Amino acid sequence: MKIHNLTKEEALRTLVTSENGLSEEEAKRRLSEFGFNEIKEAKKKPLYIRFFKQFTHFLALLLWIAAFMSFLSEYLHPGEGMLTLGIAIIAVIFINAGFTFIQEYRAEKALEELKKLLPFYVKVLRDGKEKEIYARDVVHGDVILLSEGDKVPADARLIETSGLRVNNAPLTGESEPVLRRHEAYEGEFIESHNLVFAGTAVVSGSGRAVSFATGMQTEFGRIAHLTGAVEAGLSPLQKEIVKATRVIAVIAAVVGVFFFLLGFLIGRSFWNNFIFAIGITVALIPEGMLPTVTLALAMGSQRMAKRKALIKTLTSVETLGSVTVICTDKTGTLTQNKMAATKVWTIDGGEKARESLLKIAYLCNNARFIEGQYRGDPTEVALLKAARETIGDFKGERIAEIPFDSERKMMTTVYKMQDTRLGRVAEETGYTIQDEKNRASFVSFTKGAMEGLLPLCTDSLINGDKTPMDETVRRKINDEYHAMMDKGLRVLAFAYKEIDDNYKFPPSAGSPEAEKVKSEKLENSELESQMVFAGLAGLEDPPRPEVPEAIRKCHEAGIKVIMITGDASRTAVAIAKEIELVKGNPVVIEGPEFIRMSDKELREKLLEKEVIFARMTPKHKMRVVSILKEEGEVVAVTGDGVNDAPALKKADIGIAMGISGTDVAKEASDMVLLDDNFATIVNAVEEGRTVYENIKKFITYIFASNIPEAVPYLAYILLKIPLPLTIIQILAVDLGTDMLPALALGAEKPMPGIMKQPPRKLQERLLNFSLISRAYLFLGPIEVAACMFGFFYVMLNGGWRWGEMLSPNNILYMQATTACLTAIIITQTGNVFACRSSRESVFSIGFFTNRLIFLGIAVELLLQLFIVYHPWGNKIFGTYPISFSAWLVLIPFAVFLLFADEARKRIRVLSP
Amino acid sequence: MYKKILTAVNEHLNSEVTARYAMNLARICGARLYLCFVAEKEMTASTINRAKEAVKRIFLEAEKIGIEIEAITETGDPVRKVGELVRGERIDIVFASTRKEDIERRFFAGTIARRLSLSLPCSMAIVRVVHTGRIHPKEILVPLKARIDHVEERAYFTAKIAQAFGSEVFIFHSPETVSKFFHGEIHLTPIEWAENLPKDISDFMEHMKRYRIAHAGRSVPGSIGRMITIEAFSKRHDLIIMGARQRSMLSSILKGNPVEEVLRNTPCDLIILKPRREG
Repeated sequence: MKIHNLTKEEALRTLVTSENGLSEEEAKRRLSEFGFNEIKEAKKKPLYIRFFKQFTHFLALLLWIAAFMSFLSEYLHPGEGMLTLGIAIIAVIFINAGFTFIQEYRAEKALEELKKLLPFYVKVLRDGKEKEIYARDVVHGDVILLSEGDKVPADARLIETSGLRVNNAPLTGESEPVLRRHEAYEGEFIESHNLVFAGTAVVSGSGRAVSFATGMQTEFGRIAHLTGAVEAGLSPLQKEIVKATRVIAVIAAVVGVFFFLLGFLIGRSFWNNFIFAIGITVALIPEGMLPTVTLALAMGSQRMAKRKALIKTLTSVETLGSVTVICTDKTGTLTQNKMAATKVWTIDGGEKARESLLKIAYLCNNARFIEGQYRGDPTEVALLKAARETIGDFKGERIAEIPFDSERKMMTTVYKMQDTRLGRVAEETGYTIQDEKNRASFVSFTKGAMEGLLPLCTDSLINGDKTPMDETVRRKINDEYHAMMDKGLRVLAFAYKEIDDNYKFPPSAGSPEAEKVKSEKLENSELESQMVFAGLAGLEDPPRPEVPEAIRKCHEAGIKVIMITGDASRTAVAIAKEIELVKGNPVVIEGPEFIRMSDKELREKLLEKEVIFARMTPKHKMRVVSILKEEGEVVAVTGDGVNDAPALKKADIGIAMGISGTDVAKEASDMVLLDDNFATIVNAVEEGRTVYENIKKFITYIFASNIPEAVPYLAYILLKIPLPLTIIQILAVDLGTDMLPALALGAEKPMPGIMKQPPRKLQERLLNFSLISRAYLFLGPIEVAACMFGFFYVMLNGGWRWGEMLSPNNILYMQATTACLTAIIITQTGNVFACRSSRESVFSIGFFTNRLIFLGIAVELLLQLFIVYHPWGNKIFGTYPISFSAWLVLIPFAVFLLFADEARKRIRVLSP
Repeated sequence: MYKKILTAVNEHLNSEVTARYAMNLARICGARLYLCFVAEKEMTASTINRAKEAVKRIFLEAEKIGIEIEAITETGDPVRKVGELVRGERIDIVFASTRKEDIERRFFAGTIARRLSLSLPCSMAIVRVVHTGRIHPKEILVPLKARIDHVEERAYFTAKIAQAFGSEVFIFHSPETVSKFFHGEIHLTPIEWAENLPKDISDFMEHMKRYRIAHAGRSVPGSIGRMITIEAFSKRHDLIIMGARQRSMLSSILKGNPVEEVLRNTPCDLIILKPRREG
């Protein structure tokens, strides 16, 4: 039992209040008991803790240790350059933390938008007197006074109403005002006609209601809590990066420790081993990876914006690429939301009957034709347009209206005909409509959902006569109704009723008495009963032309598309077939069935290949999303209403509509569709997949250079030669020269066939064997050959003899390390082209198609020239200018690397 | 199990709602109900009158449905007086509603509810009333941890409350996320979670079956307090019944305190059950 089941007296008794409201003293007491009536944000980790966490994850901890050891060795063994290294490592930690934090941080404004829907002041009864108080001071048991234009401050049980209509759009998504009454209600709490909910607005009439839930315990608070507290969790890319950094960190640490112990065993000094261990660890950690990933995502979001998909959270760029299910609205997303009445059906099929139906469509309509434009609800506009274009304009005096509501699923208007032309036409068409000079008859016109309206009709209009409706006619109507729905039409039924002279009619429209009658007497079953059925109209909302292609792409890409619509199931299925969303017999789940289903049943249904949800309201979306996510799917969901916000937050990708969406939905989403178009989602998915592929490309590129950074250390310890590459020179590559070419790889265009592959499996690793082996065992060793060649080329030409150790300040030694570094830079220019694809030849995808690559290489080479030839570069990186011939002998290595990888790709393509 | 139930009534509406939970439990258990109002020294006459009116209302309601009832009015320290009554009358369970300070103070430090729960030799149900529109709970959310103390009493209490209101019980378990060093978080489907349901929870479900209470359940990994409130908000549960394991101050600071979190954010009424002799 809930409060809506009780009579108003019982409700007042339960809440220990009265029709005169609470006393001030009691209200104060209850305020201290229940707290303020306000929307509060769910407690989250403070910003500073979230920022602090960026310094304490696994990779960061490892770097802290490395920095600490660098400073320690600088303190104990000065002059080895360890101070610079320590500072550089800390800079890396801060850069990574900054980038990641910016990427993760997003100001939450959804709740701010929600709060705007609540009133600031409200009228209540306290001590029996009307009083205006702050809405936040409303307590349980307060009697709230509601009148037209008011926003409801709390969930409340109505105890008195006078034509009260509220707009429940923030809660239900339905913009039509609904009538509220104070009598007890036996149905569902949320659908009860004697309740008003916080955040909704009074459209007309007035009433008094006693509050029973305030603040976060209201239905509105529920949306706020779910919007604030629900988290989608780490994105697939974030998870992959966590895994990848752990793998890298362990490899680096193990290799560092192993060679430290090895050096110790072969008798090198502790400090030499220590510096070596730190060096190899630093060499194996791709310091530039995280900032590059972030920048690549940022570039991806820029490209998506150009394709009308505005990305709000950076990681969503890649998450889109992993999407396995898209739950989409129908109207406006799959269709154009340009409703047109394409079919009018009457029982006898005659012209007169058709005109009669169109007149009902004209008169039972709130759309308007003003200044050459139609204005109003798209469905009503379509009907008005069809009527005007066929029968022209005419006037009638509307004296009452029962608006559409979701319970009745119909709308009725009552007219007093003043236009003699209409009277004539009416007579011709069989209506007994007479002008006021005659017997002052009135006619009510009703339109609505077939299943609701047909049972209320006792007669039908056949050959201009009111004919009692028999089963044959009903069957005929039903058959036509189904046939029209099967064509994807939204079908409305039309009926009229002559009102007899004894009907107690309102004195005049607009007067308070009339308003009361309008809402309370007319809504009763008297008008909407024993009606004459006039016919059906089929409205078509044509699919967006680009949608079938987008759906086809989704199918090819292994993405399941689930349509969630408020339309009837047959209409939904027909549209789905038209846009090729379904081919066979899909599983169709209707709203009432959905509510009854257990999670287990729903889970089973969702496993089916083709699923459509019909007669659904937005509040059900979150359940669908939750279950899909529990099943391991990566879910994108579209939404536009306030009550879509929790589902948008829960989904891996919440997609709000840019044109029709509310601010709350936009704030709660990860992506905003600037054109409300489904095809844009598919374009964004393609971009997302490309971003992931590109991330793999530049990780291969970055990892390949780790090998020539690490091997010189091995050579140093095993071959007893001077260290060919210093730690600071490694950082010059990782955080300097590699960055722009890597970013250029992040801007690669989608590979052909990227949307013909199934979505990436959750088990698939970013750092898989194929990627690591290509970088470490194929590309890396070629670069190793180049860098060691460069080193020995300079050393031997300078007169060095094997086994001779040189001091760090020795010019020959500095030139040799410079040549080693230069060799890495040069081979990386070949590598960047090789990494543009993993399978396709770079010449087949177009050698010059990514101009950013050339820009990246130019900057890389300029940086290297600075490092080699500028005194500042020499000072910072311990380099010394080398001869032009040293550059020339290294170029063939880059060419070799490119063609060797081309050969590898060819072999891979040819091999089964 | 419960033959004598005491509920503390005062001038606040939430104590009256709490008394109704106690009253319905008494009805279904065939227990004697004690309505106890302890007037504190600083109380004004109007406050005392209000509390007495509340006692009267509950008394009449209880009498109407045939419950054996006794109303007791005392003066002094509520904790001491209730303690004396519990010992004197050998009360099985005491119902008390939370006060503002229970919500505001961290770890309930020094609140009446806290003092009662520490000093009483019987079971205790602390009730937080937040939604006065859901009079008879239809769906009860019962969050359970892997190891449940006093599983029999918890099951009995839940079953009897469910029987009293004809409610369905929804058992909710929020285990820690499964993760491996190199794989990170491991995703398990609800079926996989159900297969790994802790024994105590299975036992609890068995009890529900025995009491013939319609029940369902699921596991959702995550932060316990947050997951419970999300579950309650999203499924529109009418009542939460949960346990209150004592956590040290340090543990609460480090790991958080789910009860405290649910107490603050619950969307529906909440009963925190502390079974007899639980440490």
